[in-house]
Amino acid sequence: MSFSLDAFNKLLLESVGVGLIIARYPELAVVFRNQRVVEWFPAFDGPEGGLGERLDGLDAAALMAGLAGGESYRTRIETKVKRRLRSLSVVATRTRFGEEDWVVVELSDETKVLELESMIASYAKMVEQQNRSLKKEKERAEKLLLNIMPESVLQELKSFGVTTPKRYDEASILMLDFVGFTRMSVEHDPATIITELNDIFTAFDRIAEQVGCERIKTIGDAYVAVAGLPEPASDHAQSIARLALMCLRYLKRRNETHRLAWNCRIGLAPGPVIGSVVGIQKYVYDIFGPGINLAARLEALAGPMEILISEEMYARLRADFHIEDLGEAEVRGFGPKTIYRLLGADDLTLDIETPTALV
Amino acid sequence: MAATMFERYGGFATVHRVVLAFYDKLLDSDIAGPYFDDVDMPALVDHQTKFISQVMGGPAHYSNEVLEQVHRSLGISQEAFDEMVRLLEQTLCEFDMTPQDVRTVMSEMRDRRSYIVTQ
Repeated sequence: MSFSLDAFNKLLLESVGVGLIIARYPELAVVFRNQRVVEWFPAFDGPEGGLGERLDGLDAAALMAGLAGGESYRTRIETKVKRRLRSLSVVATRTRFGEEDWVVVELSDETKVLELESMIASYAKMVEQQNRSLKKEKERAEKLLLNIMPESVLQELKSFGVTTPKRYDEASILMLDFVGFTRMSVEHDPATIITELNDIFTAFDRIAEQVGCERIKTIGDAYVAVAGLPEPASDHAQSIARLALMCLRYLKRRNETHRLAWNCRIGLAPGPVIGSVVGIQKYVYDIFGPGINLAARLEALAGPMEILISEEMYARLRADFHIEDLGEAEVRGFGPKTIYRLLGADDLTLDIETPTALV
Repeated sequence: MAATMFERYGGFATVHRVVLAFYDKLLDSDIAGPYFDDVDMPALVDHQTKFISQVMGGPAHYSNEVLEQVHRSLGISQEAFDEMVRLLEQTLCEFDMTPQDVRTVMSEMRDRRSYIVTQ
């Protein structure tokens, strides 16, 4: 039987989106191919050759084996049309028409799908990478914020956008500054002074973390720390006392090996405080309360390398610490108070000779 | 921060069509196309996705140093670069980008000519 198509059928086969080839079975002589097939495989332009030779990349033996079973044969082939690799899915089906057997081959272009898949993969990778760097950036910003406020306050700020001032009934405050700092900064190279101050405050920060205290701020050469917030702690007075002693011990050791001696004075006081973030654009976490003033007044009364406390603190520390009674003194704003000098603890000695001059 | 072109034109949902359209044009071009003769499809698509994403302010950013480094060995001619810019302009216009946005992209492209063209 000869193979012929009327004009309408031909038009139909030319207008479909897939490539179509019809060949005789089992010779595989091509009797029809639509224009799309020629576009992809120019070998189909001429009349010569069987399906196997012309359809570049097709395994003719596998095709025959597949068709012999009466099933359709599926595969995928690639062809390069003008520098663009096209990925084609091939479905060959054996069919009986009239007295003869035919093979109908359908080629569909899956290039776009693969290109799109490939693009999505590429884009996803890009976005993932961006997310990773954003995350890193966020962590860095968070770390910066943690430097200026306690973590629980930062969590509150993140969750609610605002923080409410919080009252802590039980807390202890440390105020520290350096004797003769103003003079030091005039007499020495300011850059050296600031670098050293920075080193010392960094060391204090580490000690504070170790003993469960929180540095609130530094103002010039003054260092303000607190115990008992943001997490309430029953041993806040002990913690702040340890911080004071360890800072003093650190300075003493440092002074032994450094040319420039740093002498601090420290005041400690217990009392209720209110902790709050202050400011909107520029955040500062600060604390307020009478204990802060008292600690500052005591610090002002203290001599070089001396830790002063008042009777309120003495009551909390006397069981665990070595304390010396200095008698009564006038504390500005608080009236006359009994003042004590904190000397050490059983496990925490300053090995400084007891200053006798003041007693 | 102002929204990038990438966001304004609908993010990846729109931009992927720009990528594929530009990719088609570039491959069909007899001036710019040959540069991609030996590049495999996934690598090329990856390249175009990043390229368009960078041009429109999406999630890709390459410094001029990196651009110079990756194009150094390709021997790209002035003519091929001009062709690429022309095809990009045509693609962006087809996707109804505002003339001002197209101008912005074009001037960004021309600013980088010296990093891409090597002969």
